[in-house]
Amino acid sequence: MKETKITVKNLNLFYGEKQALADISIDIYSQRVTAFIGPSGCGKSTFLRVINRMNDLIDDVRITGKIQIDGIDIYDKNLDVVNLRKRIGMVFQKSNLFPKTIYENLIFGPRINGIKDRKVLDEIAEKTLIQAALWEEVKDRLDDPALSLSGGQQQRLCIARALAVEPQIILMDEPASALDPISTAKIEELIDELKKNYTIVIVTHNMQQAARVSDYTAFFYLGRLIEYDKTSRIFTNPSNRQTEDYVTGRFG
Amino acid sequence: MERHFEAELEKLKTRILKMCSLVDEQLTAAIRVIEEENIELANQIIERDDKVDKYDVKIDKACQKLLALRQPVATDLRFIMSAMTINNNLERIGDIAVNIASNFLIMRKKPDFLSKTNFTPMANIVKEMVKNSIDSFINNDPKLAQKVIETDKILDQYNVDNHQILISIMKENKENIDTAVALLVICRQLERLGDHATNIAEDVYFIVEAQMIKHKYVKFLFGEMGDDKDDDNDKEINN
Repeated sequence: MKETKITVKNLNLFYGEKQALADISIDIYSQRVTAFIGPSGCGKSTFLRVINRMNDLIDDVRITGKIQIDGIDIYDKNLDVVNLRKRIGMVFQKSNLFPKTIYENLIFGPRINGIKDRKVLDEIAEKTLIQAALWEEVKDRLDDPALSLSGGQQQRLCIARALAVEPQIILMDEPASALDPISTAKIEELIDELKKNYTIVIVTHNMQQAARVSDYTAFFYLGRLIEYDKTSRIFTNPSNRQTEDYVTGRFG
Repeated sequence: MERHFEAELEKLKTRILKMCSLVDEQLTAAIRVIEEENIELANQIIERDDKVDKYDVKIDKACQKLLALRQPVATDLRFIMSAMTINNNLERIGDIAVNIASNFLIMRKKPDFLSKTNFTPMANIVKEMVKNSIDSFINNDPKLAQKVIETDKILDQYNVDNHQILISIMKENKENIDTAVALLVICRQLERLGDHATNIAEDVYFIVEAQMIKHKYVKFLFGEMGDDKDDDNDKEINN
Protein backbone atom coordinates (compact mmCIF):
# COMPACT_ATOMS: atom_id res chain seq x y z
CA MET A 1 0.00 0.00 0.00
CA LYS A 2 1.32 3.43 -0.87
CA GLU A 3 1.19 6.14 1.75
CA THR A 4 1.34 9.83 1.06
CA LYS A 5 4.47 11.43 2.49
CA ILE A 6 4.31 14.92 1.03
CA THR A 7 1.10 16.71 0.23
CA VAL A 8 1.16 19.93 -1.75
CA LYS A 9 -1.97 22.00 -2.29
CA ASN A 10 -2.35 25.02 -4.56
CA LEU A 11 1.26 26.05 -4.25
CA ASN A 12 2.37 29.33 -5.85
CA LEU A 13 5.88 30.72 -5.73
CA PHE A 14 7.00 34.19 -6.80
CA TYR A 15 10.50 35.54 -7.25
CA GLY A 16 9.59 39.20 -6.78
CA GLU A 17 6.98 39.89 -9.45
CA LYS A 18 7.77 36.79 -11.45
CA GLN A 19 5.70 33.72 -10.78
CA ALA A 20 7.86 30.58 -10.93
CA LEU A 21 5.33 28.01 -9.74
CA ALA A 22 1.62 28.19 -10.35
CA ASP A 23 -1.10 26.32 -8.54
CA ILE A 24 0.74 23.07 -7.91
CA SER A 25 -1.06 20.27 -6.15
CA ILE A 26 0.55 16.87 -5.80
CA ASP A 27 0.77 13.90 -3.44
CA ILE A 28 4.22 12.32 -3.21
CA TYR A 29 4.27 8.77 -1.93
CA SER A 30 6.39 7.17 0.73
CA GLN A 31 8.87 4.47 -0.35
CA ARG A 32 8.46 5.42 -3.97
CA VAL A 33 10.71 7.27 -6.38
CA THR A 34 9.09 10.30 -7.93
CA ALA A 35 10.79 11.95 -10.91
CA PHE A 36 10.28 15.58 -11.89
CA ILE A 37 10.82 16.19 -15.58
CA GLY A 38 10.38 19.20 -17.84
CA PRO A 39 12.39 21.64 -19.94
CA SER A 40 14.85 24.05 -18.31
CA GLY A 41 13.13 26.81 -16.39
CA CYS A 42 9.91 24.85 -15.93
CA GLY A 43 10.13 25.11 -12.15
CA LYS A 44 11.05 21.55 -11.25
CA SER A 45 14.20 22.45 -9.28
CA THR A 46 12.46 25.38 -7.64
CA PHE A 47 9.73 23.01 -6.54
CA LEU A 48 12.27 20.52 -5.21
CA ARG A 49 13.80 23.30 -3.11
CA VAL A 50 10.40 24.25 -1.75
CA ILE A 51 10.19 20.85 -0.10
CA ASN A 52 13.07 21.53 2.29
CA ARG A 53 12.58 25.28 2.43
CA MET A 54 15.81 26.09 0.66
CA ASN A 55 14.08 29.03 -0.99
CA ASP A 56 14.00 30.66 2.45
CA LEU A 57 17.58 31.67 1.74
CA ILE A 58 16.61 33.70 -1.32
CA ASP A 59 15.36 37.26 -0.79
CA ASP A 60 12.10 38.32 -2.28
CA VAL A 61 10.58 34.86 -2.51
CA ARG A 62 6.89 34.64 -1.73
CA ILE A 63 5.08 31.35 -1.32
CA THR A 64 1.37 30.69 -1.01
CA GLY A 65 -0.44 27.41 -0.65
CA LYS A 66 0.18 24.44 1.57
CA ILE A 67 2.92 21.86 1.87
CA GLN A 68 2.63 19.14 4.43
CA ILE A 69 5.04 16.38 5.32
CA ASP A 70 3.38 13.62 7.31
CA GLY A 71 0.47 15.98 7.78
CA ILE A 72 2.57 18.80 9.27
CA ASP A 73 2.62 22.18 7.54
CA ILE A 74 6.30 22.83 6.81
CA TYR A 75 5.77 26.56 6.30
CA ASP A 76 4.23 26.94 9.74
CA LYS A 77 5.84 29.91 11.51
CA ASN A 78 6.56 27.85 14.61
CA LEU A 79 8.27 25.04 12.73
CA ASP A 80 11.95 24.44 13.41
CA VAL A 81 13.56 24.55 9.96
CA VAL A 82 16.72 22.81 11.13
CA ASN A 83 14.62 19.94 12.39
CA LEU A 84 12.77 19.82 9.10
CA ARG A 85 15.98 19.66 7.10
CA LYS A 86 17.26 16.87 9.30
CA ARG A 87 14.43 14.79 7.93
CA ILE A 88 15.26 15.67 4.36
CA GLY A 89 18.55 14.81 2.68
CA MET A 90 19.58 16.56 -0.47
CA VAL A 91 21.97 15.56 -3.24
CA PHE A 92 23.00 17.97 -5.95
CA GLN A 93 24.23 17.76 -9.52
CA LYS A 94 27.82 18.37 -8.49
CA SER A 95 29.13 16.70 -5.39
CA ASN A 96 29.60 19.28 -2.63
CA LEU A 97 31.82 17.42 -0.22
CA PHE A 98 33.77 19.24 2.43
CA PRO A 99 37.53 19.38 1.85
CA LYS A 100 38.01 16.92 4.68
CA THR A 101 38.46 13.17 4.96
CA ILE A 102 35.85 10.67 3.83
CA TYR A 103 35.14 9.88 7.48
CA GLU A 104 34.83 13.53 8.51
CA ASN A 105 32.32 14.14 5.75
CA LEU A 106 30.16 11.26 6.92
CA ILE A 107 30.03 12.16 10.59
CA PHE A 108 29.69 15.91 10.08
CA GLY A 109 25.90 15.89 10.36
CA PRO A 110 25.60 13.43 13.25
CA ARG A 111 28.27 15.34 15.20
CA ILE A 112 26.46 18.64 14.74
CA ASN A 113 23.39 16.86 16.01
CA GLY A 114 25.24 16.10 19.23
CA ILE A 115 26.62 12.60 18.77
CA LYS A 116 30.08 12.49 20.35
CA ASP A 117 30.68 8.79 20.97
CA ARG A 118 33.38 7.66 18.55
CA LYS A 119 31.98 4.12 18.42
CA VAL A 120 28.54 5.36 17.44
CA LEU A 121 30.04 7.65 14.80
CA ASP A 122 32.08 4.77 13.39
CA GLU A 123 28.94 2.70 13.14
CA ILE A 124 27.10 5.49 11.36
CA ALA A 125 29.98 5.87 8.89
CA GLU A 126 30.06 2.16 8.10
CA LYS A 127 26.29 1.77 7.88
CA THR A 128 25.79 4.71 5.54
CA LEU A 129 28.71 3.69 3.32
CA ILE A 130 27.19 0.22 3.01
CA GLN A 131 23.79 1.74 2.21
CA ALA A 132 25.41 3.93 -0.43
CA ALA A 133 27.20 0.91 -1.93
CA LEU A 134 30.56 2.54 -1.28
CA TRP A 135 31.85 0.59 1.70
CA GLU A 136 33.83 -2.03 -0.20
CA GLU A 137 35.58 0.64 -2.24
CA VAL A 138 36.63 2.95 0.61
CA LYS A 139 36.66 0.93 3.84
CA ASP A 140 40.48 0.91 3.97
CA ARG A 141 40.91 4.59 3.24
CA LEU A 142 38.39 6.42 5.39
CA ASP A 143 41.03 8.96 6.35
CA ASP A 144 41.85 9.86 2.76
CA PRO A 145 40.64 13.23 1.49
CA ALA A 146 37.09 12.91 0.19
CA LEU A 147 38.06 14.90 -2.87
CA SER A 148 40.55 12.19 -3.89
CA LEU A 149 37.63 9.93 -4.82
CA SER A 150 36.36 9.61 -8.39
CA GLY A 151 33.35 11.68 -9.47
CA GLY A 152 30.97 8.74 -9.15
CA GLN A 153 32.33 7.81 -5.72
CA GLN A 154 32.10 11.42 -4.55
CA GLN A 155 28.46 11.50 -5.54
CA ARG A 156 27.77 8.28 -3.65
CA LEU A 157 29.62 9.74 -0.66
CA CYS A 158 27.27 12.74 -0.84
CA ILE A 159 24.36 10.30 -0.70
CA ALA A 160 25.98 8.47 2.24
CA ARG A 161 26.51 11.79 4.01
CA ALA A 162 22.85 12.66 3.45
CA LEU A 163 21.81 9.30 4.88
CA ALA A 164 23.98 9.78 8.00
CA VAL A 165 21.45 12.13 9.62
CA GLU A 166 18.74 9.51 9.08
CA PRO A 167 16.40 11.48 6.86
CA GLN A 168 13.05 10.18 5.66
CA ILE A 169 13.07 11.99 2.36
CA ILE A 170 15.91 12.29 -0.13
CA LEU A 171 15.77 15.04 -2.74
CA MET A 172 18.08 14.64 -5.70
CA ASP A 173 18.70 17.39 -8.21
CA GLU A 174 20.26 15.83 -11.31
CA PRO A 175 22.40 13.48 -9.21
CA ALA A 176 23.97 11.66 -12.15
CA SER A 177 24.16 14.24 -14.89
CA ALA A 178 27.91 14.74 -14.48
CA LEU A 179 28.72 11.03 -14.29
CA ASP A 180 29.76 8.39 -16.81
CA PRO A 181 27.31 5.55 -17.65
CA ILE A 182 28.81 3.08 -15.16
CA SER A 183 28.69 5.53 -12.25
CA THR A 184 25.21 6.54 -13.36
CA ALA A 185 24.10 2.91 -13.30
CA LYS A 186 25.48 2.59 -9.76
CA ILE A 187 23.57 5.65 -8.59
CA GLU A 188 20.41 4.31 -10.21
CA GLU A 189 20.86 0.90 -8.55
CA LEU A 190 21.35 2.73 -5.30
CA ILE A 191 18.16 4.74 -5.73
CA ASP A 192 16.28 1.50 -6.33
CA GLU A 193 17.76 0.05 -3.15
CA LEU A 194 17.12 3.17 -1.05
CA LYS A 195 13.48 3.50 -1.95
CA LYS A 196 12.68 0.56 0.32
CA ASN A 197 13.30 2.86 3.28
CA TYR A 198 13.06 6.40 1.96
CA THR A 199 10.86 8.70 -0.05
CA ILE A 200 12.90 9.81 -3.02
CA VAL A 201 12.30 12.74 -5.32
CA ILE A 202 14.61 13.17 -8.27
CA VAL A 203 14.89 15.98 -10.78
CA THR A 204 16.34 14.80 -14.05
CA HIS A 205 16.80 16.03 -17.59
CA ASN A 206 17.47 12.51 -18.71
CA MET A 207 14.12 11.09 -19.75
CA GLN A 208 15.42 7.53 -19.91
CA GLN A 209 16.71 7.90 -16.38
CA ALA A 210 13.30 9.05 -15.16
CA ALA A 211 11.78 6.05 -16.92
CA ARG A 212 14.33 3.66 -15.40
CA VAL A 213 14.38 4.77 -11.78
CA SER A 214 11.03 6.27 -10.92
CA ASP A 215 7.64 4.87 -9.98
CA TYR A 216 5.85 8.16 -10.54
CA THR A 217 6.67 10.98 -12.91
CA ALA A 218 5.57 14.60 -12.74
CA PHE A 219 5.89 16.72 -15.87
CA PHE A 220 6.32 20.46 -15.30
CA TYR A 221 6.03 23.15 -17.92
CA LEU A 222 6.16 26.93 -17.47
CA GLY A 223 5.80 26.63 -13.72
CA ARG A 224 2.78 24.36 -13.87
CA LEU A 225 2.37 20.70 -13.12
CA ILE A 226 1.01 19.44 -16.41
CA GLU A 227 0.71 15.75 -15.67
CA TYR A 228 1.48 13.43 -12.78
CA ASP A 229 1.00 9.70 -13.06
CA LYS A 230 2.67 6.34 -12.85
CA THR A 231 5.91 6.42 -14.80
CA SER A 232 4.81 3.45 -16.90
CA ARG A 233 1.81 5.44 -17.99
CA ILE A 234 3.66 8.72 -18.66
CA PHE A 235 6.02 6.89 -20.99
CA THR A 236 3.51 4.65 -22.77
CA ASN A 237 0.32 6.61 -22.88
CA PRO A 238 0.36 10.06 -21.30
CA SER A 239 -3.01 11.78 -21.05
CA ASN A 240 -1.77 15.22 -21.94
CA ARG A 241 -0.65 16.30 -25.39
CA GLN A 242 2.19 18.46 -24.00
CA THR A 243 3.53 15.56 -21.95
CA GLU A 244 3.41 13.35 -25.03
CA ASP A 245 5.29 15.96 -27.08
CA TYR A 246 7.88 16.37 -24.37
CA VAL A 247 8.63 12.71 -23.65
CA THR A 248 8.81 11.90 -27.35
CA GLY A 249 11.19 14.81 -27.88
CA ARG A 250 8.88 16.83 -30.11
CA PHE A 251 9.47 19.94 -28.06
CA GLY A 252 11.59 21.01 -25.15
CA MET B 1 10.96 20.86 -33.52
CA GLU B 2 11.76 19.02 -36.75
CA ARG B 3 13.25 15.73 -35.82
CA HIS B 4 15.53 13.43 -37.70
CA PHE B 5 13.68 10.65 -35.90
CA GLU B 6 10.45 11.84 -37.55
CA ALA B 7 11.99 11.26 -40.97
CA GLU B 8 13.08 7.76 -39.96
CA LEU B 9 9.58 6.91 -38.73
CA GLU B 10 8.15 8.25 -41.98
CA LYS B 11 10.57 6.06 -43.92
CA LEU B 12 9.49 3.02 -41.93
CA LYS B 13 5.85 3.80 -42.61
CA THR B 14 6.48 4.20 -46.34
CA ARG B 15 8.21 0.85 -46.40
CA ILE B 16 5.28 -0.82 -44.65
CA LEU B 17 2.89 0.82 -47.12
CA LYS B 18 4.89 -0.64 -50.00
CA MET B 19 4.66 -4.05 -48.38
CA CYS B 20 0.92 -3.50 -47.86
CA SER B 21 0.32 -2.85 -51.52
CA LEU B 22 2.49 -5.79 -52.58
CA VAL B 23 0.67 -8.17 -50.23
CA ASP B 24 -2.70 -6.80 -51.32
CA GLU B 25 -1.75 -7.50 -54.94
CA GLN B 26 -0.66 -11.03 -54.06
CA LEU B 27 -3.95 -11.75 -52.34
CA THR B 28 -6.10 -10.31 -55.13
CA ALA B 29 -4.07 -12.34 -57.65
CA ALA B 30 -4.46 -15.54 -55.58
CA ILE B 31 -8.24 -15.23 -55.70
CA ARG B 32 -8.13 -14.47 -59.41
CA VAL B 33 -6.06 -17.63 -59.92
CA ILE B 34 -9.03 -19.70 -58.84
CA GLU B 35 -11.72 -17.63 -60.51
CA GLU B 36 -9.83 -17.52 -63.82
CA GLU B 37 -8.10 -20.91 -63.55
CA ASN B 38 -4.87 -19.04 -64.17
CA ILE B 39 -1.88 -21.37 -63.68
CA GLU B 40 0.62 -18.81 -64.95
CA LEU B 41 -0.56 -16.26 -62.39
CA ALA B 42 -0.27 -18.91 -59.66
CA ASN B 43 3.39 -19.40 -60.53
CA GLN B 44 3.96 -15.65 -60.56
CA ILE B 45 2.56 -15.37 -57.05
CA ILE B 46 4.87 -18.07 -55.77
CA GLU B 47 7.87 -16.36 -57.36
CA ARG B 48 6.94 -12.92 -56.05
CA ASP B 49 6.81 -14.12 -52.44
CA ASP B 50 10.57 -13.56 -52.23
CA LYS B 51 9.93 -9.87 -52.50
CA VAL B 52 7.48 -10.00 -49.59
CA ASP B 53 10.05 -11.82 -47.49
CA LYS B 54 12.70 -9.23 -48.30
CA TYR B 55 10.40 -6.42 -47.16
CA ASP B 56 9.69 -8.41 -44.01
CA VAL B 57 13.38 -8.58 -43.12
CA LYS B 58 14.02 -4.94 -44.02
CA ILE B 59 11.14 -3.70 -41.87
CA ASP B 60 12.17 -5.86 -38.93
CA LYS B 61 15.72 -4.52 -39.14
CA ALA B 62 14.51 -0.93 -39.34
CA CYS B 63 12.33 -1.43 -36.23
CA GLN B 64 15.18 -3.07 -34.35
CA LYS B 65 17.45 -0.14 -35.17
CA LEU B 66 14.89 2.47 -34.12
CA LEU B 67 14.26 0.69 -30.81
CA ALA B 68 17.95 0.38 -30.05
CA LEU B 69 19.05 3.84 -31.07
CA ARG B 70 16.06 6.02 -30.32
CA GLN B 71 14.50 4.45 -27.21
CA PRO B 72 11.07 5.55 -28.36
CA VAL B 73 8.25 6.18 -25.90
CA ALA B 74 4.51 6.86 -26.01
CA THR B 75 3.05 7.15 -29.52
CA ASP B 76 6.42 6.46 -31.20
CA LEU B 77 6.83 3.29 -29.17
CA ARG B 78 3.32 2.11 -29.98
CA PHE B 79 3.89 2.77 -33.65
CA ILE B 80 7.13 0.79 -33.78
CA MET B 81 5.75 -2.09 -31.69
CA SER B 82 2.78 -2.24 -34.03
CA ALA B 83 4.93 -1.88 -37.13
CA MET B 84 6.66 -5.11 -36.12
CA THR B 85 3.48 -7.09 -35.64
CA ILE B 86 1.76 -5.56 -38.66
CA ASN B 87 4.80 -6.53 -40.71
CA ASN B 88 4.55 -10.04 -39.37
CA ASN B 89 0.86 -10.26 -40.28
CA LEU B 90 1.49 -8.90 -43.77
CA GLU B 91 4.17 -11.50 -44.31
CA ARG B 92 1.72 -14.22 -43.25
CA ILE B 93 -0.90 -12.85 -45.64
CA GLY B 94 1.73 -13.12 -48.37
CA ASP B 95 2.38 -16.74 -47.40
CA ILE B 96 -1.31 -17.52 -47.51
CA ALA B 97 -1.58 -16.07 -51.02
CA VAL B 98 1.17 -18.53 -51.96
CA ASN B 99 -0.65 -21.41 -50.25
CA ILE B 100 -3.84 -20.63 -52.17
CA ALA B 101 -1.91 -20.52 -55.43
CA SER B 102 -0.14 -23.81 -54.60
CA ASN B 103 -3.42 -25.50 -53.72
CA PHE B 104 -4.83 -24.42 -57.04
CA LEU B 105 -1.88 -26.08 -58.74
CA ILE B 106 -3.05 -29.32 -57.08
CA MET B 107 -6.62 -28.79 -58.34
CA ARG B 108 -5.48 -27.54 -61.79
CA LYS B 109 -9.01 -26.29 -62.54
CA LYS B 110 -11.89 -24.55 -60.87
CA PRO B 111 -14.21 -27.10 -59.18
CA ASP B 112 -17.61 -27.49 -60.91
CA PHE B 113 -19.32 -27.09 -57.56
CA LEU B 114 -17.55 -23.81 -56.71
CA SER B 115 -20.71 -21.73 -56.94
CA LYS B 116 -22.45 -23.98 -54.41
CA THR B 117 -19.78 -23.20 -51.82
CA ASN B 118 -19.04 -20.05 -49.84
CA PHE B 119 -15.75 -19.46 -51.65
CA THR B 120 -16.81 -16.32 -53.53
CA PRO B 121 -18.51 -14.51 -50.64
CA MET B 122 -15.59 -15.41 -48.37
CA ALA B 123 -13.06 -14.17 -50.92
CA ASN B 124 -14.96 -10.90 -51.30
CA ILE B 125 -15.15 -10.33 -47.56
CA VAL B 126 -11.47 -11.13 -47.08
CA LYS B 127 -10.36 -8.75 -49.84
CA GLU B 128 -12.38 -6.00 -48.22
CA MET B 129 -11.08 -6.80 -44.71
CA VAL B 130 -7.45 -6.75 -45.82
CA LYS B 131 -7.98 -3.56 -47.80
CA ASN B 132 -9.76 -1.86 -44.90
CA SER B 133 -7.14 -2.91 -42.38
CA ILE B 134 -4.46 -1.40 -44.61
CA ASP B 135 -6.51 1.76 -45.15
CA SER B 136 -7.08 2.09 -41.40
CA PHE B 137 -3.29 1.94 -40.94
CA ILE B 138 -2.63 4.52 -43.66
CA ASN B 139 -5.24 6.95 -42.34
CA ASN B 140 -4.91 6.23 -38.61
CA ASP B 141 -8.58 5.36 -38.62
CA PRO B 142 -9.68 3.41 -35.52
CA LYS B 143 -13.33 3.34 -36.69
CA LEU B 144 -12.43 1.53 -39.87
CA ALA B 145 -10.20 -0.79 -37.82
CA GLN B 146 -13.16 -1.65 -35.63
CA LYS B 147 -15.25 -2.40 -38.69
CA VAL B 148 -12.62 -4.93 -39.81
CA ILE B 149 -12.72 -6.61 -36.41
CA GLU B 150 -16.51 -6.87 -36.48
CA THR B 151 -16.54 -8.27 -40.02
CA ASP B 152 -14.39 -11.20 -38.94
CA LYS B 153 -17.37 -12.82 -37.23
CA ILE B 154 -19.27 -12.96 -40.53
CA LEU B 155 -16.29 -14.54 -42.22
CA ASP B 156 -15.96 -17.15 -39.48
CA GLN B 157 -19.61 -18.11 -39.85
CA TYR B 158 -19.23 -18.46 -43.63
CA ASN B 159 -16.29 -20.77 -42.99
CA VAL B 160 -18.21 -22.97 -40.56
CA ASP B 161 -21.13 -23.28 -43.01
CA ASN B 162 -18.71 -23.97 -45.81
CA HIS B 163 -17.39 -27.06 -44.03
CA GLN B 164 -20.87 -28.56 -44.04
CA ILE B 165 -21.43 -27.66 -47.67
CA LEU B 166 -18.16 -29.28 -48.76
CA ILE B 167 -18.77 -32.41 -46.67
CA SER B 168 -22.17 -32.81 -48.35
CA ILE B 169 -20.54 -32.38 -51.74
CA MET B 170 -18.00 -35.09 -50.90
CA LYS B 171 -20.73 -37.42 -49.66
CA GLU B 172 -22.75 -36.88 -52.83
CA ASN B 173 -19.92 -37.90 -55.11
CA LYS B 174 -16.64 -39.50 -54.10
CA GLU B 175 -15.05 -38.22 -57.31
CA ASN B 176 -15.20 -34.73 -55.77
CA ILE B 177 -13.16 -35.58 -52.66
CA ASP B 178 -9.73 -34.49 -53.91
CA THR B 179 -10.91 -31.17 -55.23
CA ALA B 180 -13.24 -30.56 -52.30
CA VAL B 181 -10.43 -31.13 -49.81
CA ALA B 182 -8.18 -28.71 -51.71
CA LEU B 183 -10.99 -26.13 -51.70
CA LEU B 184 -11.61 -26.77 -48.01
CA VAL B 185 -7.98 -25.94 -47.34
CA ILE B 186 -8.22 -22.81 -49.48
CA CYS B 187 -11.34 -21.58 -47.68
CA ARG B 188 -9.72 -22.28 -44.34
CA GLN B 189 -6.82 -20.11 -45.55
CA LEU B 190 -9.30 -17.35 -46.38
CA GLU B 191 -10.56 -17.57 -42.83
CA ARG B 192 -6.97 -17.22 -41.54
CA LEU B 193 -6.54 -14.14 -43.75
CA GLY B 194 -9.43 -12.58 -41.87
CA ASP B 195 -7.58 -13.20 -38.61
CA HIS B 196 -4.47 -11.48 -39.91
CA ALA B 197 -6.50 -8.49 -41.11
CA THR B 198 -8.09 -8.39 -37.66
CA ASN B 199 -4.66 -8.42 -36.00
CA ILE B 200 -3.57 -5.48 -38.13
CA ALA B 201 -6.75 -3.60 -37.26
CA GLU B 202 -6.17 -4.23 -33.55
CA ASP B 203 -2.66 -2.82 -33.90
CA VAL B 204 -3.99 0.28 -35.63
CA TYR B 205 -6.41 0.72 -32.76
CA PHE B 206 -3.48 0.38 -30.34
CA ILE B 207 -1.41 2.99 -32.19
CA VAL B 208 -4.18 5.57 -32.31
CA GLU B 209 -6.15 4.93 -29.12
CA ALA B 210 -3.36 3.46 -26.95
CA GLN B 211 -5.65 0.63 -25.94
CA MET B 212 -4.98 -3.06 -26.42
CA ILE B 213 -8.15 -4.73 -27.60
CA LYS B 214 -6.67 -7.93 -28.94
CA HIS B 215 -8.02 -10.26 -26.29
CA LYS B 216 -10.99 -9.97 -24.03
CA TYR B 217 -8.71 -10.48 -21.02
CA VAL B 218 -6.80 -7.23 -21.39
CA LYS B 219 -9.37 -5.32 -19.33
CA PHE B 220 -9.48 -8.09 -16.76
CA LEU B 221 -5.70 -8.10 -16.33
CA PHE B 222 -4.96 -4.41 -16.62
CA GLY B 223 -8.19 -2.65 -15.69
CA GLU B 224 -10.20 -0.08 -17.57
CA MET B 225 -7.22 2.17 -18.34
CA GLY B 226 -4.89 -0.62 -19.38
CA ASP B 227 -2.45 0.22 -16.56
CA ASP B 228 -0.01 -2.13 -14.95
CA LYS B 229 -1.04 -3.23 -11.53
CA ASP B 230 1.48 -2.73 -8.77
CA ASP B 231 2.40 -6.39 -8.52
CA ASP B 232 4.31 -7.89 -11.39
CA ASN B 233 3.46 -11.49 -10.74
CA ASP B 234 1.39 -13.63 -13.08
CA LYS B 235 -1.01 -15.10 -10.58
CA GLU B 236 -4.08 -13.80 -12.44
CA ILE B 237 -3.08 -15.86 -15.46
CA ASN B 238 -3.56 -19.12 -13.60
CA ASN B 239 -6.90 -18.10 -12.10
